[in-house]
Amino acid sequence: MSQESTRSEPAVSNDVDVDANATKDEDEDVMVQVRDLRTYYEGGGLFGGTPVKAVDGVSFDIKRGETLGLVGESGCGKTTLGRTLVQLESATGGEILFDGADATELSGAELEEWRRNAQIVFQDPDSSLNDRMTVGEIVREPLDVHDWKTPRERRQRVRELLDTVGLQREHYYRYPHQFSGGQRQRIGIARTLTLEPEFIVLDEPVSALDVSVQAEVINLLEDLQDEFGLTYLFIAHDLSVVRHICDRVAVMYLGHIMELGPTEELFTDPANPYTHSLLSAIPEPDPTVEKERITLHGTPPNPRHPPDGCPFSTRCPARIRPDQYEHLDNELWTRINTLREVLRERERADRTVTDRIREMLGKDPRFGTVGEIFDELFGDQQVPEDVETVLDQVADHVRKNDEATALEILFEAFGSVCESEPPAYYTVSDSGRQSFCHRHDEGYRAPDRVLDERHRQQ
Amino acid sequence: MSDSYDEFDDTTLRERIEANPRPALLWALGVLVLLALEIGRVAAGIIRVGESARFALGGIMSIPATIEESVAGTLGAGAGTIAFLLMALVLLVIAAIVVKWLFVPVSLVKRLDIDRGVGTNDVLERALITAVLGVFALLIVATPLGSAVEALIDGVTRGLEAVNSIQPITSRETIPNEGYRTGDGGWEGTFLGLSPAWAWALRVAVVYTYAIVWLVWLWKGYEIFREHYREADWTPRDDSINRLRNHYWGLFGFVVVFLFIVMALWAQPLSPVTAEANLYSPYEHEFQYYDDGSLETITHGTANVQTRSQGGDSNVGLMSYDQYDRFAPFGTNQDGKDMFTFLAYGARVSLVVGVLATGLMAGIATALALMTAYYKGLLDLVTVVVSDSVISMPRFLIVLLLSVLFMQANHPIAAIYDGGILLALIFAGTGWPGLWRAVRGPSLQVAEQEWVDAARSYGQTPAATMRKHMSPYIAGYMLVYASLTLGGVIIGVAALSFLGFGINPPTPEWGRAVDEGRPYVSTASWHIATLPGILVVLVVTGFNALGDGIRDAIDPESETSEGDAGAAATGGGG
Repeated sequence: MSQESTRSEPAVSNDVDVDANATKDEDEDVMVQVRDLRTYYEGGGLFGGTPVKAVDGVSFDIKRGETLGLVGESGCGKTTLGRTLVQLESATGGEILFDGADATELSGAELEEWRRNAQIVFQDPDSSLNDRMTVGEIVREPLDVHDWKTPRERRQRVRELLDTVGLQREHYYRYPHQFSGGQRQRIGIARTLTLEPEFIVLDEPVSALDVSVQAEVINLLEDLQDEFGLTYLFIAHDLSVVRHICDRVAVMYLGHIMELGPTEELFTDPANPYTHSLLSAIPEPDPTVEKERITLHGTPPNPRHPPDGCPFSTRCPARIRPDQYEHLDNELWTRINTLREVLRERERADRTVTDRIREMLGKDPRFGTVGEIFDELFGDQQVPEDVETVLDQVADHVRKNDEATALEILFEAFGSVCESEPPAYYTVSDSGRQSFCHRHDEGYRAPDRVLDERHRQQ
Repeated sequence: MSDSYDEFDDTTLRERIEANPRPALLWALGVLVLLALEIGRVAAGIIRVGESARFALGGIMSIPATIEESVAGTLGAGAGTIAFLLMALVLLVIAAIVVKWLFVPVSLVKRLDIDRGVGTNDVLERALITAVLGVFALLIVATPLGSAVEALIDGVTRGLEAVNSIQPITSRETIPNEGYRTGDGGWEGTFLGLSPAWAWALRVAVVYTYAIVWLVWLWKGYEIFREHYREADWTPRDDSINRLRNHYWGLFGFVVVFLFIVMALWAQPLSPVTAEANLYSPYEHEFQYYDDGSLETITHGTANVQTRSQGGDSNVGLMSYDQYDRFAPFGTNQDGKDMFTFLAYGARVSLVVGVLATGLMAGIATALALMTAYYKGLLDLVTVVVSDSVISMPRFLIVLLLSVLFMQANHPIAAIYDGGILLALIFAGTGWPGLWRAVRGPSLQVAEQEWVDAARSYGQTPAATMRKHMSPYIAGYMLVYASLTLGGVIIGVAALSFLGFGINPPTPEWGRAVDEGRPYVSTASWHIATLPGILVVLVVTGFNALGDGIRDAIDPESETSEGDAGAAATGGGG
């Protein structure tokens, strides 16, 4: 319901108010433009080291008055992205344009002033409120910081805000731990509203709450959006909540946005293989419905050492395969992928002196012998002749501790564009939905058809 | 959003008191009565504070002139004048920052409507206040206004001095205990002709009663505030106070510390004789005694020689009169001086050194803990290295070495309070790393809390974030560790004095009494070393117990745990 109303609102106001930029019709209602944003966490040690690429080149727009959802599994960088947008983390590169001005370049007093416009609601209401202050002091503090009007007016405003978020005015002099989780989150929301921001990042605002309370808080957020014309970035991993509240959704994986488009469209007809697998993880309430789950193997790669090509290439169920091996067994493909991951891991790990000595003495090195690895991976598999040859070659090199060459051979045989080049964003529907996958390129089959064939036909 | 809420909505404390003035007035009346009873002492206190403030201000104001002199000496008069002006400006700016921080809660820039963008507003604000202060300073220096202010201060001082002469209820003049026994066995010169022992006991009772009444009245005031004027009907502090009220070990500590502090504050009326007469310049003060039918006059010094406690026959023990009819509740020491006077004034020294050292230590440690936890990085690393370096040195040896060094060099600091201030500084300088280490964990923990991020997200300044959102969480720990450290400092000072390096004679110090009484422990004069020794143990135990009590009170989870016993053990380290 809110989707319809909030989306149509800016369009109407555009026609009425803004006619100066009539030529740039599309950009008019864009509020936040994120361009190639990167946030890396430095290695921590004194000598730098490889940074963790939490957000690694993200671009998107947020339109005025809309709710943009940001979903993805834990550790994919969605919280970091949200925190970077409100400048709680400093961006390593790229720009965040708020109404045309780059927020990443601000500092000092300008930054402080800018912060009025972009606020954040935190995930954990237990940790986001200072227990030693009364509710009134907590909600009033932003006003004090920005020296808003007189103290009396500030107290008045705080009481009105408490009213607005569904608390009582008398709660001004209570302390946070006299409240339940849902009420604490309301206090947190009241605090973000004090400075009348236009843009609010909601960092999993309901995931720490009971289900019944979740609904109340979600409804409150929707009401507030209607009342104050707020723009939300809604970070969540609960897909049903996202489907309910968001106008558009961005799906994130390993610091990249994999797919971005209108919510309903994305949920009913996902384009990107990652979106497919994510959506197939939603439990189906009806037990009679036959549903093929796409199970992802392994864990996401280490964000310190992301893969060279597509970030999802190591686990992708629709990965492009060389023609000659296209019809190998799915299981065998999984094993080959695992082998590649093991080799990548081995390549990065340094061998200690002890390992080298053990090796020279002919004892088992730390990693386990090559024989063990291959046994475990391919022992119970029917491996065709040509694959066997390649694997033997690989094993030879691994035995000589030359993982680089081994990986090269593996790539020559089984690799494709997925492992070598990052994909581009392809527009996959009339609504401008974008997907980050090589398969949308001409010359490859579309992801859903491949998935149907590989995973849904049994 | 209707107006019906407004009646209870928004009242300041003053308005709430105006609405229901009776309890507050009653309480204030009580305070006035209590103050009036001790009006002379209060006035004396104000005069002393005023004098030191004036002294400090004078020192600061002479800085530009001093700089002018030294610059003019090397670079010529013109440069000197410029240096003078620059220095004066710097002082004014510093003063402006302090004044803005303390006294100007509203933004002048916004009131005057000369907004120049966020960056320059702060500077503009301070410049405005600097200008006002500068004009004010000029007025005082260059116009008759200066002498008017001077005259005003003089008048106030004179008034206070007049008040000062009013006898407080606890003064030794109100209940005199020094007198002589006449031929017929009666007492002359004491309160109501009581014996000196009873007169002294009465005065001690009056002092402690007065102090206890104050304590009760302050508690009453808190209760009145809580009941009638506080808007929150419950705060986390209520629970802490309730827990402390049922913590008997902590209450024991509180009682001991209270007795000790009252002893230090009212040392003068509590002692049977004044320290000035008996300890500092005994040969300049005389008293009368009745000897074989005639009234004789003798100086304290001459009498003291005859009343030494050195074991055997020469001894004035507990609760006894000496041959000059002076009452010595704790006997005399090996020089014939009154032990109780010595101990009461010694308490004052211990308290001053202990509180000053601990205060400095806690201040440094808190500031560093907040900043290292908030900024981390290089600052943290440097602090870790520095504090580990300090900790790695044997502390008592360093304290010993430094105190000897400064004393031997006759450094001016060593002269203040007979080395007491020097000791406090040394203890603070070597003690802060321990305290900092103790609160480092909690402060790192609180710096990770999301409300600190939240404060940053709406633009709160780092200083305010540390003060409002971090320091309350480490203040409890700091209070605990500081009270434990205070005991340690008192022991340390006593130990130094015991070794002959701490506070110089004639300023009384407990540790020195222990040292000086040591040869007589096995004789009839055992009290010289034993009593101060017991007092040191008692007071240190008291501070530790109070610290334990506070910790359990502020942290409900530690109520039954014995895990922190180590903290109590560190307190006595000295």
